[in-house]
Amino acid sequence: MATEAASVLVATIDSLARRAPAIIASAARELGSIRLGLHFGDGSLAMLAGEHSRLVARRIETPEPADVEVYFDDRSLARLFDGSGRPAIEALESSLDMRGSREDLLAAWRCFVLLSQRASGLRAVQAIWSEYRDSKGEWAPPPPGEAPDRRLGEAFWEQSQWPALEWLDRRHPAAVELIERGEPVLAPARSLWDGRQSGSWQDAPLIFDNDLDETMARCKGMVVDQILTLIPEREPKAELYDLMRDYVTREGKGLRPTLVIATCLALGGKLEDGVRAAAALEMFHNGFLVHDDIADESTHRRGRPTLHMLHGVGLAVNAGDAMHLFAVDLVLSNLASLGLARTLGLIHEILHMCRETVEGQAIELGWIHRNVVPPADEDYGHMSTKKTGWYTCISPCRVGAAAAGVTSPEWLDRFNEAFRLIGIAFQTQDDILNLIGETALYGKEALGDLLEGKRTIMMIHLFRTAAAETVERMSAINAMPRLAKDQSLAEEMLAAMQQAGSIDYAIRYADDLANRGVVRFEEDLDFISENPGKAVLRQIANYVTTRAL
Amino acid sequence: MNSFAFEGALAGPRNGLGPAGPFPAAALTDTFDRRWLHYAFLSRDGRHAMVANAAWLGPVDDEEPPKERFTTILLLHERGQPWSASQFNADIGNEPWSAFRLPHPHFQPYKLGIAASAGTPRVDLDLVRTSRPCSSQCAFFHGGQHLRWQSETGVRGSGRWDLGNGPEPVDLIGYHERVRGRWRWPDLGEWVFGFANDLGGDPGRPPAWAGVFTFIRPATDTEHATASFMLWKDGRMRRHFPRRNVSFAVRGELDRDKVTMTPPLARLLGVPPMAPVPKRLAIVARQGDDVVMLDFDAEAAARVVIPSENSIRPFSVNEVVGDCLLAGRIGGEQFAIETRGIVEFAGGAGGD
Repeated sequence: MATEAASVLVATIDSLARRAPAIIASAARELGSIRLGLHFGDGSLAMLAGEHSRLVARRIETPEPADVEVYFDDRSLARLFDGSGRPAIEALESSLDMRGSREDLLAAWRCFVLLSQRASGLRAVQAIWSEYRDSKGEWAPPPPGEAPDRRLGEAFWEQSQWPALEWLDRRHPAAVELIERGEPVLAPARSLWDGRQSGSWQDAPLIFDNDLDETMARCKGMVVDQILTLIPEREPKAELYDLMRDYVTREGKGLRPTLVIATCLALGGKLEDGVRAAAALEMFHNGFLVHDDIADESTHRRGRPTLHMLHGVGLAVNAGDAMHLFAVDLVLSNLASLGLARTLGLIHEILHMCRETVEGQAIELGWIHRNVVPPADEDYGHMSTKKTGWYTCISPCRVGAAAAGVTSPEWLDRFNEAFRLIGIAFQTQDDILNLIGETALYGKEALGDLLEGKRTIMMIHLFRTAAAETVERMSAINAMPRLAKDQSLAEEMLAAMQQAGSIDYAIRYADDLANRGVVRFEEDLDFISENPGKAVLRQIANYVTTRAL
Repeated sequence: MNSFAFEGALAGPRNGLGPAGPFPAAALTDTFDRRWLHYAFLSRDGRHAMVANAAWLGPVDDEEPPKERFTTILLLHERGQPWSASQFNADIGNEPWSAFRLPHPHFQPYKLGIAASAGTPRVDLDLVRTSRPCSSQCAFFHGGQHLRWQSETGVRGSGRWDLGNGPEPVDLIGYHERVRGRWRWPDLGEWVFGFANDLGGDPGRPPAWAGVFTFIRPATDTEHATASFMLWKDGRMRRHFPRRNVSFAVRGELDRDKVTMTPPLARLLGVPPMAPVPKRLAIVARQGDDVVMLDFDAEAAARVVIPSENSIRPFSVNEVVGDCLLAGRIGGEQFAIETRGIVEFAGGAGGD
């Protein structure tokens, strides 16, 4: 638990970057390149700055130069994020001091307001702040009106002076159904009438912030449940069905299922149709992964040894084949609910995805087989569009759209460019994380890409810019069989990349793509009215831009 | 079932709906003149809900001879299911029942039968008054437009209804309302109406507690909203909390797949989408030491699409059913009931 104010802020920003990237991206846009020096009432210090589309918060021990100095006293801090308090804009008078140029102050203020208004609705953020507030018992703000001498229960609600808005905002914020569903979104209550001013019940806020972490976990959970209902409880278990069950239930990000379901919902489809379509796609994905791991000689997948490492290549290939078979079954199970035309649309989309993917895979494996590193980023972009763009992002969206009944190519194509850019950025970031991320977070073996000789944007940059002898040495390492390579060779290659600035180059490359992707997302998908499904898609689009690298 | 319609002259004599006053029997002469009788019931076991409306509308422009139009719609809801609705041409067996048609003794049953032309949904009920009406109220809109209404809670209904699976006995309790006015839908803006009453208690007596609330927000002059909360106890209205003493707030959204578009014909007509229905509604009314709180949690909605005479966008009335907490303290007496309620979130015309 964070006990210092600065740590609370850092924990909040980290949590938001993972759970609500769209909020971070918006706040970072407001902040621009301004650096904030934050001084808290308990003496702790932090720096907050925008970096590309990210917000970077870090604890510091001694003050550092900043564009805006911000002094929070305990009262203003307690109310900055805490959803049970009034919005920060009303609370901070005389308890917050900000020093800096006028423009910078306004930018910082907009950033704070945006964070407090949009992030305070997320349960994860509320948990961090209420835990901190509870640890500072003396902070608890007095309830409005007369202070009761005992904790108010439902039976005594009328002793307070709270009107309807406060009832919904503070006393009973979530409906029972939402709590049962673990619904992470807590849109603030809206006043329709307070005795003087009226509001429209139709003015639903058009910004829907959701907790992406929880949303992805829930989507993944629904899809896994759907798949498990199809895997039979019969022999051969140990050689087939247990393998499938093990693989399907492994931890994964749940990006594809979330894209399918969110797109389906965004276009007015039904949840169960989205889940069924996502299950079919996920089953294909699992089959591909099993075979991919064999082709790449990977040792780990989703934090555990790959199937062929556990059970041998023969059984793993067979389990992968079975997954593809079941995937076809899952696609066809949509027939009853979606009807023939939409199911055919679904099949068409999945076939197209498979074709693009195998072509992309062929290009990449061909490079490795011939020990060639393509000279230009465009070559990588072409391969990655096929292998990742379609596979990870574009097709899931189009499949979700098809499940919602949208089969017109004109509308489906609106997803292509935005999610192509986002997909390549995502893949590039994944490749970067393989080099610099922690195994526990990433799920695959560290430096596994280098051991596999994967042609990443870093490797292409290295081969393009390094000295001839370095290129020759790296090429020799690439030419070695996977099992003949050890960790030291991978680390040698990583050092060469760091020296050539390849990783920084790749970060900039991914940032550029991701930002263009977000712009295209807003432009191309403006035909979808704002709704919770689209909000999830927006979070995913921004997830790539704000992901901590 | 014979279809009921007014065939006679517009200014002809009527079986009057109570003292004329704000609800005169005068003919509807303008296209925007409207009169209706509204019924909203919940079954005592909380499983069923019924909404019906019989509306008389003014003659269309240049119609010779001018003639009132008459429409009836019936909506039924069974818990866990979507709403089921007739078209606007439901048959109504005899002159529509009204508590305001005097003399009307309490506890004496009168028939109300409504059925879709297709056969179902259908209800055949014996309705009895157990309570007394509130005083009539009026909301104004610009240009002399207005909407007057008067409601009565504690109407008990017993009989049968049919959702298509065969007749089923039902035991209902709810409220009845009469409305008269002249307004254009885009000018009216939007409203939140609703009621909740005690579903338990002695069936031979009025419900112990019942509440009816109103919030009408005109499209222009939005600060001139009308708001009120009325509370009945044992069949008599005990408190009326006027506009300054009431607050309304909403939170969250009802899942869109819980909203059924009605009448069924509307689904074929490319009706533009509507704002999401709020998931929660809280109302707090306070006057002196008296206070009432209503917390409604929406469960399912029927969006009744009403064509607007002077805008492309229709006026939509979302009939929403859900669980409801009604609690308060009146004259030192504290009460809290957990019950079911029906709320209307209406609006959406204009803005073309």
